[in-house]
Amino acid sequence: MSGQHHPSADILAAYASGVLEPGFGLVVAAHVDGCAQCRRQVASYEAISGDALCEIDDAAMGDDALSRVMSRLDGAAPEKLAMDRRPFAERLTLKPRKWVAPGVWVAAVETPHARTNRVYVLSVAPGMPTARHEHSGAEFCTVLKGAYRDELGLFRAGDFAATDHDVNHQPVVQGDEACVCLFATEGRLQPQGLLGRLAFAYADV
Amino acid sequence: MDDCADISDEALLTQIAAGNRVAFSSLFGRYASKVKGYLIKLGARGAAAEDLAQDVMVSIWRRAASFDPAKAKASTWIYVVARNAWIDKLRRERVELAYRDTLIIDEASDEELPDDAVSRVQTEAQMAEALELLSEEQKQVVRLSFFEDRPHSEIAEHLSLPLGTVKSRLRLALIKLRAHWEQMK
Ligand SMILES: [Zn+2]
Repeated sequence: MSGQHHPSADILAAYASGVLEPGFGLVVAAHVDGCAQCRRQVASYEAISGDALCEIDDAAMGDDALSRVMSRLDGAAPEKLAMDRRPFAERLTLKPRKWVAPGVWVAAVETPHARTNRVYVLSVAPGMPTARHEHSGAEFCTVLKGAYRDELGLFRAGDFAATDHDVNHQPVVQGDEACVCLFATEGRLQPQGLLGRLAFAYADV
Repeated sequence: MDDCADISDEALLTQIAAGNRVAFSSLFGRYASKVKGYLIKLGARGAAAEDLAQDVMVSIWRRAASFDPAKAKASTWIYVVARNAWIDKLRRERVELAYRDTLIIDEASDEELPDDAVSRVQTEAQMAEALELLSEEQKQVVRLSFFEDRPHSEIAEHLSLPLGTVKSRLRLALIKLRAHWEQMK
């Protein structure tokens, strides 16, 4: 699936150099996993970094480094590691789902990330109003399943959205299946209204 | 020193994948100090940079079979192994997971497929009924905590209550709301 909405070149470059916060990197990975176009772009950034690696100033290894490493090599030939070919969404480790409203569940993603960030999967059934909310910081989102529409357009499975703190939006689920999205959010979510806040507090995200 | 001086990095990796230790020590000579230099640039210090560079070289041995010269240059592949090792190190160091300090309900596994819930429609007004289940005292702390977004310590001060009381009131309130929401999922 190659969607219509891709991470910007800046975001892909940051992802390729490993400097994105873990939760945010995970959301980019969810998109890149299914997008050949972005995979090629990431690969080209990695190639540039690989060339830079060859040009970097050497930092001498310890005298016994080689022998220590050699002693750690497994006996026979290295084994080919099996690729995990499950869909990206199935490779995520989720905490238990919490129903925060009829037809709406949230599950925190088990990934080490900064205490001030939230990383979670949100599933919203069609016909359910989502909480209009503001962001106190950046938010990355990749649609895992289903589709939603907001002021920025239609977002389907595989599509990526990055929003900033000044966005106040209200996505609407499209089609007849639940829309499941992976989010990384910086700072506290600011759903408007008491119920929205309660729901997110209750869900520990 | 390099017994494989005329062999390309890519060919070395292919030989390493077949278990060739001589090829590995050549690749070590070419890349280990580069990898360490890269890790230092990222912020690794002293013995940690040395240890991590050694780990990266061990990973190169273990993963060599996944190197595909048709897809990437050796330098690119080695860079990716080193970068991922750095990211993993940062992850290991970050033991604190993202919990709100309002995490006051114990985990209870509530697995249900979202499809089960699709057909049930409730309005926001009905949701608000849940709030009416709370005592005035509970509503007060709930509003201060979630509507005004005040820290527990500030609420305690504001209401002249011990911090523990604020937390237990919130906890009871959320348990009540939870029970209500569970019924209508
Ligand atoms: Zn893309």
